[in-house]
Amino acid sequence: MNHTTVGLIGAGRIGRLHAENLVGIPEAHLKMVASPHLDEAWAQALGIPVRSTDVGAVFDDPEIEAVVIAASSDRHVELIRRAVEAGKHIFCEKPVAFEPGPIEEIIALAAGAGVLLQVGYNRRFDPSLVAAHHEIDGGGIGEIHTVRVTSRDPIPPDIDFVRRSGGLFFDFTVHDFDTVRFLSGAEIVELFAVGEVLVDPRIGAAGDIDTAVITLRLSNGALAVIDNSRHAVYGQDQRFEAFGSSGSVAVDNLRATYVTTSKRDGVFSSRLHGSFGDRYREAFVAELSGFLSSVREGRPVAVGAEDALAAVRAAHAAKRSLAENRPIRLDEAMATDTAGEGGIR
Amino acid sequence: MKTITTGILGAGRIGQVHGNNLLRMPGVRLKAVADPFADFKEWPGVSVATGEDPDLILGDDEIQAVLICSPTPTHADFIERAAEAGKHVFCEKPIDLEPDRIRRTLDTVDRAGVKLQVGFNRRFDSTFARVKKAVDDGEIGAIHLIRITSRDPEAPPADYVASSGGIFLDMTIHDFDMVRFLSGAEIVEVHAYGAVLVDPKIGDAGDVDTAMTTLRLSNGALAVIENSRQAVYGYDQRVEVFGSAGSAEALNEAPAQIRLSTADGVRSENPLYFFLERYQASFVAELEAFFACVRDDTAPPVDGRDGLMSVVVGRAATRSRAVNRPVTVESRATRSTGGKP
Repeated sequence: MNHTTVGLIGAGRIGRLHAENLVGIPEAHLKMVASPHLDEAWAQALGIPVRSTDVGAVFDDPEIEAVVIAASSDRHVELIRRAVEAGKHIFCEKPVAFEPGPIEEIIALAAGAGVLLQVGYNRRFDPSLVAAHHEIDGGGIGEIHTVRVTSRDPIPPDIDFVRRSGGLFFDFTVHDFDTVRFLSGAEIVELFAVGEVLVDPRIGAAGDIDTAVITLRLSNGALAVIDNSRHAVYGQDQRFEAFGSSGSVAVDNLRATYVTTSKRDGVFSSRLHGSFGDRYREAFVAELSGFLSSVREGRPVAVGAEDALAAVRAAHAAKRSLAENRPIRLDEAMATDTAGEGGIR
Repeated sequence: MKTITTGILGAGRIGQVHGNNLLRMPGVRLKAVADPFADFKEWPGVSVATGEDPDLILGDDEIQAVLICSPTPTHADFIERAAEAGKHVFCEKPIDLEPDRIRRTLDTVDRAGVKLQVGFNRRFDSTFARVKKAVDDGEIGAIHLIRITSRDPEAPPADYVASSGGIFLDMTIHDFDMVRFLSGAEIVEVHAYGAVLVDPKIGDAGDVDTAMTTLRLSNGALAVIENSRQAVYGYDQRVEVFGSAGSAEALNEAPAQIRLSTADGVRSENPLYFFLERYQASFVAELEAFFACVRDDTAPPVDGRDGLMSVVVGRAATRSRAVNRPVTVESRATRSTGGKP
């Protein structure tokens, strides 16, 4: 039978989302979910045959060919190591690790063991971003001059999460760094980051920022800009634009419905999606389907640990740029930095 | 309505735009235009005196208000001479490329007690004015971010670039003013990246044609400006103000608001081609506002200090790009408001 047996580690918000998607993908057989805080009733209702509170059970099951790691970020590296040792292909949520060192180590380990390792930069599978990338790649806008990413969340995360998240650049902007690389086809060479606490003073008290603007220099000579907020009251704001010598290509916001209501006091459109899960629903399915196709056909993954490494390096540079209020080259960013710890401010 | 007698110094492109607007404007009489290089055969017509000598205007006691549309290096001198002759002044941006020269000019204007308005026409565009109203009325709450996309449809010739003061003083200066206008705050720090991606001759002239400028504002908000000297699809002028209660966006305007849907896809018109088309109405509105403040003896809506601050920020951006560091904007306030009562 042409399917892949999968084990899932982690059943938090993103783990559940992946589980629900895997159950719906015909080529996937989600055999096991393992999480120390497993909600039995939920897993049973989804029809997952094996449920465990011991993540080791996934690695010990010889039938499982691929693991999806959606545990908390601080456990990613350890779980990837164990999956590699067990000879399983790996899909891991971003950011993989807050430090480049462990990611480099994992890249070497996975390559040595001949297992595939895909990272959850789901936007690379979003149909609109894929179409934009295709247009750019086909020369539709000529030489790229600038890339713009506007990425704003509808609801700020709770403060406990902020404390564990590694900070805005590691938790949130990493997606945007990856999108800049994806759309431009170039590497980030240098960046300048400014940030403020404008949404919630508790985010500041936790050592993080909630509003940021990052400008970037790319290896092809182009410039890019990312603007972030933790709180856009009108919904999940995800807009992208690449501008080049023969035009521009833009991805606008998506909505659950496209209804226009015109009244005395104005013209109203449907609200934007209210969460990244809704906005990137198709992308979350497509990234797993893509991963499983790579496993079945032995093809390279579309977004790998090298991409995770590049995004984390950019996050370190941004953190340092913010702290020192100056532009930082990515090759100098790692000199004295300690990531993730103690927030980014 | 009391008629105000007016003269124009400089009959280039913008001088002619203003002149034509004045010829149709109630309550204003365009008496004379002076320009050493114009031939005046076609324009402005027999009802208006023309000549090479600026004294045609500056020496005419009947002329109460002067529009300065000559090249930038002449602005400060002409403002001072007009002010000393007791004439109110409308001057195109920038007043000068040197802040100290601008400060001296503003002192002269203050001493003379005349009005000075600077030509930041975009403040009078109805679309941007509506965004400003959304900010002022609290529709989007406290300001967190301002984002401006400002791209010209075609790059200027390299010899223009060489004398323009550079992209930040020639082009981004309007965007700096827009950030100040929309936020009601001052720009306190600037970082600018630049690149030469459109035309290597612009690079040879010591300038850049593509830029990303990050700003910190005095109210704690952040802003970013994207510039390009060449957008092949037309003049790209978009603004977004994002705040605690939402965002307000100004989109591009097209000559016709149509949607053409065919088997090839959905198409709409390109944006209005360039600033003369896009900001046509604002050029009229800024002059109406200027003459209203002359007539009613009120403060000009865009004053000398606005003219000064945009240049100070433009120089900070120029320096930031050169040294690749954020640059603090000098906070030394001008003593002058350039005609504010």
